[in-house]
Amino acid sequence: MSTQNVLPETMPGTQPSASYTSENIKVLEGLEAVRLRPAMYIGSTTEQGLHHLVYEVVDNSVDEALAGYATKIDVVIHVDNSITVIDDGRGIPVDEKTLPNGERMPAVQVVLTKLHAGGKFDASTYKVSGGLHGVGVSCVNALSEEFDVEIWLNGQTYEQTYSKGEPTSKVRQTGVTKKRGTKVHFLPDKTIFTVTEYNYDTLANRLRQLAFLNKGIEITLTDERTSDAKTGDSKTATFKYNGGIAEFIKHLNKGKQVLHDKPFYMEAEKGTLVVEAALQYNDSYSETVFSFANNINTVDGGTHLSGFRTALTRTINAAGQSLGLFKDMKESLSGDDVREGLVAVVSVKIPQPQFEGQTKGKLNSDISGQVQSFVNERLGAFFEQNPQVAKRIINKAIEAARAREAARKARDLTRRKGALDGGGLPGKLADCSEKQPDRCELYLVEGESAGGTAKQGRDRKFQAILPLKGKILNVEKARYDKMLGHEEIRAMITALGAGIGKDDFDAAKLRYGKIILMTDADVDGSHIRTLLLTFFFRHMTELIQRSHVYIAQPPLYKIKKGKFEQYIKDDREFVKVMVKRASDGMVIRYGENAASLEGRALTDFMGKLNDYIGFFDKANKRLRNEAVTAAFANLFAHEGKDPSKRSDFETQDKIKQLRAILIEIGKEAKFKGVSDPILDEEHQTWSVSFTDSNGAERKLDWVLASTPEIRQLFGKHAQIKDQLQPPFMIEYVQKGGKVDADDIVEEQQTEGVAEAAAAPGTAVQNKGAKRAAKLPQDPVEKKSARELFEFVIEQGRKEYDVQRYKGLGEMTAEQLWETTMDPDRRTLLEVKLEDIAGTEEIFTTLMGEDVESRRRFIEENALDVKNLDI
Amino acid sequence: MASKKALRCPTCRTLVLEKNPDYPFCSDRCRRIDLGKWASGDYRISSPILDPEVLEGLAEHARRPQRDNDDD
Repeated sequence: MSTQNVLPETMPGTQPSASYTSENIKVLEGLEAVRLRPAMYIGSTTEQGLHHLVYEVVDNSVDEALAGYATKIDVVIHVDNSITVIDDGRGIPVDEKTLPNGERMPAVQVVLTKLHAGGKFDASTYKVSGGLHGVGVSCVNALSEEFDVEIWLNGQTYEQTYSKGEPTSKVRQTGVTKKRGTKVHFLPDKTIFTVTEYNYDTLANRLRQLAFLNKGIEITLTDERTSDAKTGDSKTATFKYNGGIAEFIKHLNKGKQVLHDKPFYMEAEKGTLVVEAALQYNDSYSETVFSFANNINTVDGGTHLSGFRTALTRTINAAGQSLGLFKDMKESLSGDDVREGLVAVVSVKIPQPQFEGQTKGKLNSDISGQVQSFVNERLGAFFEQNPQVAKRIINKAIEAARAREAARKARDLTRRKGALDGGGLPGKLADCSEKQPDRCELYLVEGESAGGTAKQGRDRKFQAILPLKGKILNVEKARYDKMLGHEEIRAMITALGAGIGKDDFDAAKLRYGKIILMTDADVDGSHIRTLLLTFFFRHMTELIQRSHVYIAQPPLYKIKKGKFEQYIKDDREFVKVMVKRASDGMVIRYGENAASLEGRALTDFMGKLNDYIGFFDKANKRLRNEAVTAAFANLFAHEGKDPSKRSDFETQDKIKQLRAILIEIGKEAKFKGVSDPILDEEHQTWSVSFTDSNGAERKLDWVLASTPEIRQLFGKHAQIKDQLQPPFMIEYVQKGGKVDADDIVEEQQTEGVAEAAAAPGTAVQNKGAKRAAKLPQDPVEKKSARELFEFVIEQGRKEYDVQRYKGLGEMTAEQLWETTMDPDRRTLLEVKLEDIAGTEEIFTTLMGEDVESRRRFIEENALDVKNLDI
Repeated sequence: MASKKALRCPTCRTLVLEKNPDYPFCSDRCRRIDLGKWASGDYRISSPILDPEVLEGLAEHARRPQRDNDDD
């Protein structure tokens, strides 16, 4: 203790003196040392030190409260930035005391003038002392221009005044009182402090903290520098928390989304050690933990905190194990995992605490094991009593563990392999020779074999090929899994050269101007395309924004007739070409009046009929009876932008008509029943149900009529309603070959991709004549629109040699170049951000756990997937 | 398909606006988690094998690599 009072006069930077004897050693008497080097005692002479003065005084009052003598502490900031602290404790004793040097003075004067004096340094007075900031109230006295103390003790009032640590009066008994306690008023010395203005919020925060840490104690703070405009009252706050640090936790979590309503709280005492801990998780990913030893905020933690943390990790792992939540986990949860979203306060009270470090911010007392066993026991019991809370907390930690694992794997993606890699480009990449990025193209090709074809077919000057393995056989489940493995993702990232992740990705480093996805035109291909697009959308969004990503359009068919060859990109176009060919000279009669369709009107009708059949099949999956689906459309479809109308279901009329038709259909289809019209009370709409031969009940109502597939069907139905009048009679009229030849010429112009047919004029004309001879002479009757459609397509098909490409691999390198890769002849689909936001939804559904909704989604979107090229 | 200005974060499903610097994610943390899933091959679109030949082959020679799986 005395070493603190003895300072060598020779300080760094001063002139060294020749002799060094005891004369050179100056003994700084008491408070003189504090005034000379205030920062050594209170940390600083700035804002922090200024506020520290208040804490020192308040700590003394808190000690009285902890010892059970005081319940209330009032702190007042006066207009001159002086402070008053009043408590209702026992009052500082005033009786005479003999010092070690024989001097006698009142006890209060000892406390206020001698460093490290006072009850807190005697374990028998206070079992636990809060104010262990190390120095005591004498420092406050030393650093104050004015310092007055008033003591209410044994019915009498005593007063004494000081200036800069020196008494300016003796301890005097000035009156009588019924009160008990101590009042200290001080004005910090302006010659010492560079900041002399008190901050209300700083004081409020610390006082609130003290109130949390010492439950039941009431602390008020009044700021007399302020006055309310209306009442003239000063700003004041009262801090009193019977829940202690459990309320502290709630305060810290204010405005946050908590994982469980009630915080965990425990208090345990063993011998002289008191441990209090509370915790509550919120949905954030950060950790907020406060630890205290004897009310001192141990900002660097220490033994109490490490004990708490060890116990928390252990208890959560044990509870997770017994609740069976770790089935998919490879490793147990780490300390980091259980800290995400944790808000906790640990507070210990212990006599003679040991601190470590310059700022004394770390507790060093050997209590880790004790804290750990307390928390283990209590938190374990809490989890047992609140299994739902335990599950939520554990699941959050599991999620954190997964996130950490995922982040590690993500880092692996860009970590360079050894020097053997050479330039670091993936081995499978067939790069181009051009180095100017905006002139280069990278084809991402599904499958090794198609990749090989593309490598042969490309222009190696500016086209690079990266084959990707996207489909693997899942033998166990007898399924195909479409996926992009670690190596595929890694190869893509490396080939593109733009990096990955928020910090590393840089679109300016992209090695190619165009990235072209080339996948098979089948379901597998569309799945792999969805995967690739989703990846680009999520992690290389900027490439899409900058129009770098494209989809190749390999043909689906090649049709051939003599020397004429044409590639066809999709089913819709195929139907168009077939119908155009077949409908030449064809007349279709329909309905009671035998109205006729031919030429342009016929091809238009067939195009719409193609869509209609697609929509019909989807809609029919809901009703499982074609006649019913057709009748539903017939009765309820409207033209215009609202193909189904709610008003149809608000009265019984149409439902009654539908019911009559259902009964009629039911006779043949062996329905088990048809209901009466039923009113849905909630929506005030009518419906009718039927039970089919398998016993399944199917309801026809507004809900069904407003589903997307029924609306699509209704819309198309309304467009071709007038022509949908079976039976259909198909006849041929002889028109000669002229029209035929024109048609073919037109095809070449509009479809673009066609290989030039040699001399379209005469040759084709002759063939036209030949064709006419092959046509059926008698009218053909078709009972339904579907049969009509199939017949017409079949007629077209007969005319050509049709090859359907199941995959890119079925094309030769030359064909692939001509149709899909040659910049002069290919068509590329640019991927736009707006389109892909929809892909995100499809992807999410395809990835979903819910098998039923996935199946339904795929069914419902089957046609869209085909047409929208997703 | 209509353009959408807001999406759900692929990782945590909170709503994300297009102007968010981490779009289509809500945060860099969620972005990293998603990237990790790609890196570990967690994203799979699975579909049943419909080709009877392959199915038969699977049943008989479950251990032998299949003809259709020529990418291996």
